[in-house]
Amino acid sequence: MKKSVSRMITDYKDTVFFLIDIGAYAFRDFLGEYPGRVKNIGIFEPGTIGIAAGVALAGMIPTVYGISPFIVQRSLEQLKLDFIYQGVGGNFITTGAAYDFSTLGYSHYCAEDVATLKTLPGMEILVPGTQGQFEALFGACARDGRASYFRMTDHCNKTEVDVEFGKASVLKRGRKATVITFAEMLDAVVGACSDLDVTVLYYTTAEPFDYGTLRDNLVGDRVFVCEPFYEGTFYQDVLKAVSGYAVRIAGVGVPREVLRTYGTKKDKDLNLGLMAEGIRARILEFIS
Amino acid sequence: MTDAARNLRISVLEMAYHGGDANLQSVFSSIEILRVLYDRVLKISPGAVDSPERDYFVLSKGQSTMGLLALLAEKGYFPGDELRTACQYNSRISMQADRTKIPGVEISAGSLGHGFPIAAGIAYAGKIKGRSGQVYVLAGDGEMNEGTMWEAALFAAGEKLDNLTLIVDDNASLREMLDIGKLDEKLEKFGFSTVCVDGHDEEELSRAIKRVHIGKPGAVIARTRRGWGSHILLEDRSWFHRAPNQKELVRLIEDVKSFGMGG
Repeated sequence: MKKSVSRMITDYKDTVFFLIDIGAYAFRDFLGEYPGRVKNIGIFEPGTIGIAAGVALAGMIPTVYGISPFIVQRSLEQLKLDFIYQGVGGNFITTGAAYDFSTLGYSHYCAEDVATLKTLPGMEILVPGTQGQFEALFGACARDGRASYFRMTDHCNKTEVDVEFGKASVLKRGRKATVITFAEMLDAVVGACSDLDVTVLYYTTAEPFDYGTLRDNLVGDRVFVCEPFYEGTFYQDVLKAVSGYAVRIAGVGVPREVLRTYGTKKDKDLNLGLMAEGIRARILEFIS
Repeated sequence: MTDAARNLRISVLEMAYHGGDANLQSVFSSIEILRVLYDRVLKISPGAVDSPERDYFVLSKGQSTMGLLALLAEKGYFPGDELRTACQYNSRISMQADRTKIPGVEISAGSLGHGFPIAAGIAYAGKIKGRSGQVYVLAGDGEMNEGTMWEAALFAAGEKLDNLTLIVDDNASLREMLDIGKLDEKLEKFGFSTVCVDGHDEEELSRAIKRVHIGKPGAVIARTRRGWGSHILLEDRSWFHRAPNQKELVRLIEDVKSFGMGG
């Protein structure tokens, strides 16, 4: 993340980068070197998003970096009215994913960020699974005049895949089902499917959703969705992609409940059945 | 009341009649503020709505939109005939403006508590870019209950945005709800250079809005009355949110014409 954002600050004088009191250490040199354009703005997310929209209306490109629930949920109306309604562009980079802050409790979990932002027409939602994928997607979207949300995680995939904005990647072809997955869940899905006769599609652009690649890669009548978000976040998109076909849909994802557990992210994944073995068992059941 | 302010009120009444909907009391309280801004203060013109060096006027208090639109039409930003299409399905004109549809409207308002932070962001970018334009924002006193207004106030003062001027149309809405005390004292403590004026006196308003405030954002608390400019609107609270029928329109126009004329 630091690499592309640093390059943006250095290369483009029309950019403003607001940190919501995270990342200030990583960006300490920039804070000193670009006062005004790089700023630890403080902890008032709705006001910050409004101010960022003003920066955009004045012809500059704002980027805001914060923790996902505080940008997505505390400031949802600002994203809707100050960016989407005004029709201006800006970038929102978040950390935290579904429950990266695994010991901080429900206040810091946000398995619903993608589902929530999908209610805003025209909001681009990027869910990279590695730093390299972030670079590619940020490069494609940061200056495109739209509001773009980049969901980052501390738990990147080991599997590196070249990704393209707006396109799903076909990682494997099989005959029993089409498995689709997103973001940091790829490693687990690759592990789960290594010896299964299924097609695997990997999405890092969540919105606009790539319907075509799913439609073109339907095998049989089964689609299995693996989401590191609230379960079912993408069922509507799958239904739209397969419109006209009778298709069975199932999947795994974060259950829609108040998570009151702590432990590590891995502890949560394991208990929620979101690691390779748990996913594999569910897919086997689905295709048998 | 000046003739120009009287005529603007009459245009708003006609818009409200054609549109079948309005917040007339709230529009009327801010008519002198809008007049002063567009007649004497703002460096903008219909031919240069995108000039980076322009002054910005941000209407945070969306309820005054009909006043703004009638004034923009008068100033030639779009054809005045369009005001009669107010609130129709495909019209560009309504009770709250959409900046993507109307030239000269800087923001799409409607939800309170948004315009001031946006204006602070515009002023902040202006400082970075070294622009000469001033950013003026009109808020309602009721809107000052919103937390984002005070987030923006803290930011504007902390960043010494002296290219930002907040004008509060203080029509005493707050007295009836969460009363947060004297706005001028609060804003002064937040780091603003503040002045209170009679919000229906164009001379006083003009002096206050043009006042230079170096190193601090400025605030003008304009004491106004809901419905000012019409006895009927001042006295009958049912006009908070409704439009006149044809008979009422005639009565209201007569009322505005005779307001303050000793009759």
